[in-house]
Amino acid sequence: MNAADMLPASDTLWLALVVLGGSLAASLIFLGVLLGRLRETERRLDEKESRHETVLDRLQENEFRLRTIIESEPECVKLQAEDGTVLEINPAGLRLVDANQPADIIGRKIFSVVAPEYFDIYRENMRRVFAGEAVVYEFRAITLKNRVAWMETHAAPLRDARGNIYALLGITRDITEHKQAEEQARRHQTELARVARLSTMGEMATGIAHELNQPLSAIANFSRGCIRRLRSGGMSPQELIVPLEEVCEQAERAGDILRHVRDFVRKREPRLKSLDVNQIVRAVVKFTEHEARHQCTHVRLNLDPLLPKVAADAIMIEQVIVNLVRNAIEAMTEVTPSRREIVIQTRLFESDSVEVEVADTGPGIEGGLIDQVFDQFFTTKPEGVGMGLAISRSIIESHGGKIRAESSRDGGAILRFTLKISAQQSHRRERADSIHS
Amino acid sequence: MNEPTVFIVDDDQAVARSLRWLIESVRLRVENFGSAQAFIDGYDAARPGCLVLDVRMPGMSGLELQERLAAQRIHIPIIFITGHGDVQMAVRAVQAGAFDFVEKPFNDQDLLDRIQRAITRDAEWRDRDLQQARLRALFATLTPRETEVLELVVEGLSNKAVANALGLSAKTVEVHRAKVMEKMHARSLSDLVKMAMQRQG
Ligand SMILES: Nc1ncnc2c1ncn2[C@@H]1O[C@H](COP(=O)(O)OP(=O)(O)OP(=O)(O)O)[C@@H](O)[C@H]1O
Ligand SMILES: [Mg+2]
Repeated sequence: MNAADMLPASDTLWLALVVLGGSLAASLIFLGVLLGRLRETERRLDEKESRHETVLDRLQENEFRLRTIIESEPECVKLQAEDGTVLEINPAGLRLVDANQPADIIGRKIFSVVAPEYFDIYRENMRRVFAGEAVVYEFRAITLKNRVAWMETHAAPLRDARGNIYALLGITRDITEHKQAEEQARRHQTELARVARLSTMGEMATGIAHELNQPLSAIANFSRGCIRRLRSGGMSPQELIVPLEEVCEQAERAGDILRHVRDFVRKREPRLKSLDVNQIVRAVVKFTEHEARHQCTHVRLNLDPLLPKVAADAIMIEQVIVNLVRNAIEAMTEVTPSRREIVIQTRLFESDSVEVEVADTGPGIEGGLIDQVFDQFFTTKPEGVGMGLAISRSIIESHGGKIRAESSRDGGAILRFTLKISAQQSHRRERADSIHS
Repeated sequence: MNEPTVFIVDDDQAVARSLRWLIESVRLRVENFGSAQAFIDGYDAARPGCLVLDVRMPGMSGLELQERLAAQRIHIPIIFITGHGDVQMAVRAVQAGAFDFVEKPFNDQDLLDRIQRAITRDAEWRDRDLQQARLRALFATLTPRETEVLELVVEGLSNKAVANALGLSAKTVEVHRAKVMEKMHARSLSDLVKMAMQRQG
């Protein structure tokens, strides 16, 4: 039988737990059942004072069992008040934040273990939970012993019998390792993407030089180390095997880099196909979802379902939209998380083109800079290269389209580009027009 | 334990291992750290040697690590390894007190020479620190009156002039002065003057 059937449907805790889901589900269902019963008992307690004693006993018994479960739960389980005060936390949670005893963290604000740059994001997620939402968020934690770790929290509201939210139930786990792996993969990708971007600007040599320098210097160091040891004598041939294997590996690594570069160069020739821009927009939203969620940015789509197909290179157009979305996400780190929104729209434009619009609620682009943002190497970001929009423009123009930037009335930035409708499509349109006339 | 160690901080594991292999060929002790943070967490400032650091690293960069160490008054000499086109960064590092830098790809002898020089420099610094600490300890054994006498004596004042300045008899000054020489283990006035200068650093 499904655990849900055992509980009153109104029990929000159950709902909360369902949402939290995942691998935690099994142990939490049990916990949920117990909490549900506890709540039930409380309710009965309200109604029937007569059986006071027994009910109290059961309540205590349940509470005791509940505690045992939470205590032995391998993941960090905690309850927080609306202002972030930690109300309860289990032993796994204590370990996670490096607390020696409950008093180190209970009664204190959760922010004492959250990295400052995540305060806003954390607050925004707490606000959502106390507004009734279940959320998942990541943040960087600095534990009580100053250890830095990445955490992921599944959080949901807890309601009392009257439906008022009285606490946040959070289950948190350490995702540092996962994060590092992800980071490494991403770094590799952006590094290659950077090389690819430079290639369009004829600066590929610099990018490759930088990448190749690593394995090449490793090869030189290993070989020199071998020569020195051989010269000074006293080294057995066996001892050379390990460093020479390293040399081979590094040579292969250099080869890999070159192969990737070659692949990218090949990809650079635009392959025009008749394609659905809406589909590309959806794909981009999917693989920027992680970044967007991480920055608490909401992405809204407003796509014309009757949009005709365009003639374009899917990968290139994808790259343009990714650049625009990334810029929007980056621009909005300056505004409070609750106001971060991106709206992507598609529409027919002047009967022979399609227009894609990416609008954000960030600070917008200063009037004087509107023309410069498309220049190569123009950037206002400390980590920026200033190539995103330059490349986007060269891609769009090579497709015969136009790209423009403007500031919206409410202050955000709006970036629009157009693409020509593909030939087959416009034929069909003409036919449709002539039938109508 | 007090043998100098070359500490390598590089996020590229292969490069770090290769540097270790190269540097160990001249019988130096080497320890690798995969990130600036790992070095900060694991390094004991009492250990002599030098630091070989990649300027560009994800997370805390080499330059940031340099700043952090300076803030913690850790003065281990740093040799920066810079990639193609990072020379400006290296110049900034040296301006901020780095010992030296080498540009990739580098000549192995060149790097090893710089490492040797850095280790020698570190030993000198530590020696000077030790001397100063020893001197401070000696100075601390003097009474306030003896300190006053010492300060005037090393400025070149005669016993009589010192006596006048402090309102003491020449005889008393004589006694204090002998005591100072004894406590400071100074054999001559010029010894004493040197010590006073060294204390100033
Ligand atoms: N949505 C936006 N809101 C506000 N300013 C923007 C926006 N998009 C771009 N800009 C401005 O235009 C500049 C250039 O953008 P571009 O994408 O070309 O380079 P970048 O984002 O700085 O660096 P990168 O090469 O890594 O993309 C940005 O630095 C920023 O000042
Ligand atoms: Mg950009």
